[in-house]
Amino acid sequence: MFTVCSSGKTVRPVCTDLDEFDSIRSVLLYSELEPEWLDDVQKNGELFYLELSEGEEEAVLSHITATQSAATNHVRFSDKEAEIITDKRSKKRTDSGAKSQPKFKKLAKILAGKRRPSHRSKADGKNGRVSQPPTSILKNQAGPRTGLVVQQPYLKDVCVYVNPKRLGCMSPSPSEKGGLLEALLGVILRGGDGLGCNGEKLIIHGLVPHSPASKCAQILIGDVLVAVDDVDVTSENIERVLSCISGPTQVHLTLETGTAGSVMDSEVARPRPAAPVSQLVRLLWGEDTTELQMSVAHIPHIVMYLSLKLDSESPQEEQEVLYQYPVSEAAAQLKAVRGIFLTLCDMLENVTGGQIISSSLVLRKQLVHVGYWKEGENLLVVGLPADRVPLLHLQTVISGLVRTLRVMYGSLHSAFSEVENAPRLDHFFCLFFQRIIQPSRLSDSPGSAPSIISGTLFLDDLPAMRWLTLPPDVKVEVDTVLSDFESSDFGDMSEDFYGMRRLYVILGSCLFYKGYLIANHLPKEDLLDVCLYCQHYCLLCLGAEQRVGQLVVWREVFLQSRSHPDSHTSTSTSHPGYCESHGRFFLLVVGLVRKHFMQCVLLEAGGCASLAHGSPGPDCIYVDQVKATLLQLESLECAIEERLSAPPTPCLSCADWFLPSSGRGRQDVIGSSPILNRLTAAIKPPSPGTIGRSLFGEAGAGSGLKGRKPSPQRSVSDSGSELGDVGLRMPSAGTRRDSLGSGGSDGSGSSGGLFKIPKLKQPNPFYLGSLKKSLTEREAEELQNTLKLTAGLENTLFHYVLMETVQGIFITPTHREISQLSGSIHPQLIRNFHHCCLSIRHAFQQSLPPRQDRRGTDRPHTSRGLGPVKEHGILFQCKPENWTDQKKPAPTMTYWVIGRMVLEPIPQEFYVCFHDSVPEVPVEMAFRLSFGLAV
Amino acid sequence: MLQSQSVQLLCLTASSGVPLFSRGSTKQLPFSIIGSLNGVHMFGTGHDAALSCCETEQGGHVLWRVFHDSLMLIGVSSNANVSELHLRRLLENVWNCMVLVLGLDELANARNVERLKRELRSCYGLIDMLLERGVDDRDQGLMGDLTHCADCILLPQPDLIQDTLESFTRAAESSPNVALRLLCFQLLPGVIACVLCGPRPSLYQVENEQVCRFWSPLAENLRSCLDHAERSSLSPSVSLRRDVLALLLINRESRRSVTSLSTKATPHLSPARRWELLRLFYTFAVTRYFTSEESPSSECPTAELLHEEFSSGFTHLPVHCYLVTDECKCYAVQTPQHQLFLLTDLSVPTFTLRSVATHTLDAVTTATGF
Repeated sequence: MFTVCSSGKTVRPVCTDLDEFDSIRSVLLYSELEPEWLDDVQKNGELFYLELSEGEEEAVLSHITATQSAATNHVRFSDKEAEIITDKRSKKRTDSGAKSQPKFKKLAKILAGKRRPSHRSKADGKNGRVSQPPTSILKNQAGPRTGLVVQQPYLKDVCVYVNPKRLGCMSPSPSEKGGLLEALLGVILRGGDGLGCNGEKLIIHGLVPHSPASKCAQILIGDVLVAVDDVDVTSENIERVLSCISGPTQVHLTLETGTAGSVMDSEVARPRPAAPVSQLVRLLWGEDTTELQMSVAHIPHIVMYLSLKLDSESPQEEQEVLYQYPVSEAAAQLKAVRGIFLTLCDMLENVTGGQIISSSLVLRKQLVHVGYWKEGENLLVVGLPADRVPLLHLQTVISGLVRTLRVMYGSLHSAFSEVENAPRLDHFFCLFFQRIIQPSRLSDSPGSAPSIISGTLFLDDLPAMRWLTLPPDVKVEVDTVLSDFESSDFGDMSEDFYGMRRLYVILGSCLFYKGYLIANHLPKEDLLDVCLYCQHYCLLCLGAEQRVGQLVVWREVFLQSRSHPDSHTSTSTSHPGYCESHGRFFLLVVGLVRKHFMQCVLLEAGGCASLAHGSPGPDCIYVDQVKATLLQLESLECAIEERLSAPPTPCLSCADWFLPSSGRGRQDVIGSSPILNRLTAAIKPPSPGTIGRSLFGEAGAGSGLKGRKPSPQRSVSDSGSELGDVGLRMPSAGTRRDSLGSGGSDGSGSSGGLFKIPKLKQPNPFYLGSLKKSLTEREAEELQNTLKLTAGLENTLFHYVLMETVQGIFITPTHREISQLSGSIHPQLIRNFHHCCLSIRHAFQQSLPPRQDRRGTDRPHTSRGLGPVKEHGILFQCKPENWTDQKKPAPTMTYWVIGRMVLEPIPQEFYVCFHDSVPEVPVEMAFRLSFGLAV
Repeated sequence: MLQSQSVQLLCLTASSGVPLFSRGSTKQLPFSIIGSLNGVHMFGTGHDAALSCCETEQGGHVLWRVFHDSLMLIGVSSNANVSELHLRRLLENVWNCMVLVLGLDELANARNVERLKRELRSCYGLIDMLLERGVDDRDQGLMGDLTHCADCILLPQPDLIQDTLESFTRAAESSPNVALRLLCFQLLPGVIACVLCGPRPSLYQVENEQVCRFWSPLAENLRSCLDHAERSSLSPSVSLRRDVLALLLINRESRRSVTSLSTKATPHLSPARRWELLRLFYTFAVTRYFTSEESPSSECPTAELLHEEFSSGFTHLPVHCYLVTDECKCYAVQTPQHQLFLLTDLSVPTFTLRSVATHTLDAVTTATGF
């Protein structure tokens, strides 16, 4: 396994007292004395430790090699020699270290050092290397470009997974016979026994069965092994090179082959279908960012931290640029016009009476939106391409970014003013831009649905976390386990036990399973702080799809609701005479092997725990306790999996079922006899259950028909939008709306509608809902799986998002539920839905009650603009792609995307997407859905 | 600093940045600010970055546009009700009106800046009127400045007036291709006949002979039209639902629009606020979901890059949209031929909005053939 810390190498001696603190639990759990992450703790106490489980690495690899065609165009640097030397030096250093370290760590370091020259050099003062400026694309341009093109014909790259640890259990010692080449890779050379020392070519003579080389099915007999991990090899140095691999890892082999068929194209711009290890993990490890950066280098984007106060006495070139990322050509162009940003920021307040928040400019024929954030004497400027971030969403992105930085560093100033933060910020912004500009690149790991990361500008920036509702008994158990942990009642952590103050007080924790929040014991604002961090580092995606071997993150955080008593959030809630303790806060995130569980714990030092001095590193005991908690939760995995694989509640329909994919579809059937069809629809028993099931069975035509009964008002009126659907629009009596009269309207009329409804004389949908509920109680078994959100006979619900603003959680169909629906139009529909939600939420945001704005000044609120928007809907029309039938117009399917903001009784935002065959009242749907959101 | 609610327009030469005029707000912006506003754009141009617009807190906007590489127009607004679209349209309108008055050649190849400055004074009236539109407005029913469609009145018997107008146009030898003159004749207070024509016939001739000849027989007719128009721009044959507060109907092919305000007095919404809401809703729907009727660009070829089309991010076609606010409900319909924007009373149930809108669209189009 390889581990990478983002810079430091210094082993932090853990407080010796604590070694004796080992609890029984952790002793049981971990017989090894020293945790594997210990070596990665940085000077400032921070830790970001991530390893994949072994099986996962192999699985990843086998997938890649099976679908091979990729893994070829990695950037090769020309400074190979130098790298090898430093590798060895660092190897020696670790070898000479007296402590016995788990072997793989050496390799990890070697790899880390090798792949991330700039990072590693930073804190590595011992090796006497001068710290380098942040990785720059420009700087490397000469190198990688030539390196890339050199990919000669008849050269191929192969990734194999090797594990030197397994050598030990093999009967012949690896040093005999074919040496490491045979033992490790499974490659037999010509001549069988031996490697001369004369620098011969390594011609492959045979492959050991079941060895990595034969398993990957890419290495052929007769190939010549040219390089290992871009280090040129001959018979002279191969053993030495292979001996540097001391832990399980994947190795790039470059082979010269006789078959031209496997020659790879090595264009930079070509999107790579898959990488040996997912790009995300590589990015988190901090390696290989150059290639990712280069793939977005042509897209203008930049972040700059500029000083508004210029030192006029000693004018220096670019002295006002305190920080910038990246160093691409397009970014340089944006940097060149920073004068615009500075001037506008300086001047506009005097012109229009408000701080500048955004500006747009055209650069390289691309529209770029620039967001501004002024803090004190400095200005944060973020430029993003308009086609990635719409202008109306820009501010949400910027404020999320600023809050993340504040959580991590306390303030923008402290983030950007510390010189040693620069590499960390580079890494931070590399992730930031990758997530925004090419999110799909990050999720190209096998088995992950692209929708997990991409298209979620909306979901990512909601002030809430994705919640997974669990069966009550499971929920209780999860909460109990978490509470047990939070009570810190374990023997060795009690103060009485050792008669000294504890190091940290556990403020609370939250628990994720596969990226879904399943339990939260944190106040909303703290939860959001924690989650912003997790989201930024894609930890939730890791938890969702990558089987994380182990993840340990430790860092000091600056909780926005606590650390800034003068900030906007706490001024509103602070009570006179009550003063919150001014402790320091630490975030501990632990994700555990193959369990998909990830727990985030907030710890407080100071207050009633002892004061923290300096920058304390992670404390083994707390980490172990979290691990123990996660292991305890392991028993619940089945129950949670069961919940995830349960049929979706409420039922979802797939858009494709409402639209024939070819010329022959339901239209033919219907067109022949509309009356007959209506009869069948009427005869059909109004049981939602059958519909739910039929959706998966006879998808498409059959089920698509039944809900076609339009309400009278629509059938008469819809002239323009449903041209192709004329045959289906028969007026028919007996839809729900008719029988209900106008009672349902009130729900949309006012926010308090829910409570007014019972006073009405007429029957109304609310009663319908409760009726259904009582039904559910009686026929629980039958109806449980078929909870339907929409009215009418057929389930017309496509997608939904319900956000609970107070607790900061939202629910939406799970990834699995979405992937079960498949279809070709449905994913489009979901993308459309999310894009639309950006606009809807923006409309809601603009109309929120007056609130102190981000700079702490009261924004005068006049009833300007359209006024407070509480409901907003858009009707979309879609046609099947590739409509081939010339004679008939393409059939159309129309659906609503509606957003609804409810302020009472609980503030909620509800976004829903449904087929328009039955007019719905969104507030009712939201209400019905919130039954399911029992927290 | 601009006074709140005001819009100011600056015009400078694009190459040298010499200020030509500044209209709008009662208090003019200081010269240094005008210089900086122009300076940032020029600085960007020098670095291959075309600054398009910027937004400030509380809804202020600044918009830069260069027309034909010769003139730079800068719109500055501190009014939250003036959207970016509105400001963009304003700059286009101002440019178009300068072209109308001075001609494209004069503007695009101006050599003598002082002379151009003097000549531009003749546009001030028009420009000031454009600046007032949508900000504080007497003729609130007119939305052509925003929609770029001609505001129309749908008369009960349009044929007679149409025929007369056509004969009048022929008599005045209107030849739009080589237009030199725009002649306007006030027939009645509020009724003006406009004709574009070449050097002949003389103004005297048209005024004294043709106007009388063609239009005097129609005086009574025109007077009744005027009465009608004051009540509604829709013909009386169209009966709107009582709870429709205001509507804007656009014919996308002919680029004409009709607006109407219901006669029903609503205690909460003054007519002025209703017009304002209609403009805001039009802007909202058109900038996010529908397509607006863009005139062929009179600026540089990359003009369409200068603003973002949010609707281009949709995979499917938005056809309707609605809003429920504290004051009213808004519904918009887009068909290949028409766009309808409707304000209704809060008492109208949300789920019936759609049928109200489609019925209204049907009713107006079938009754008037609009």
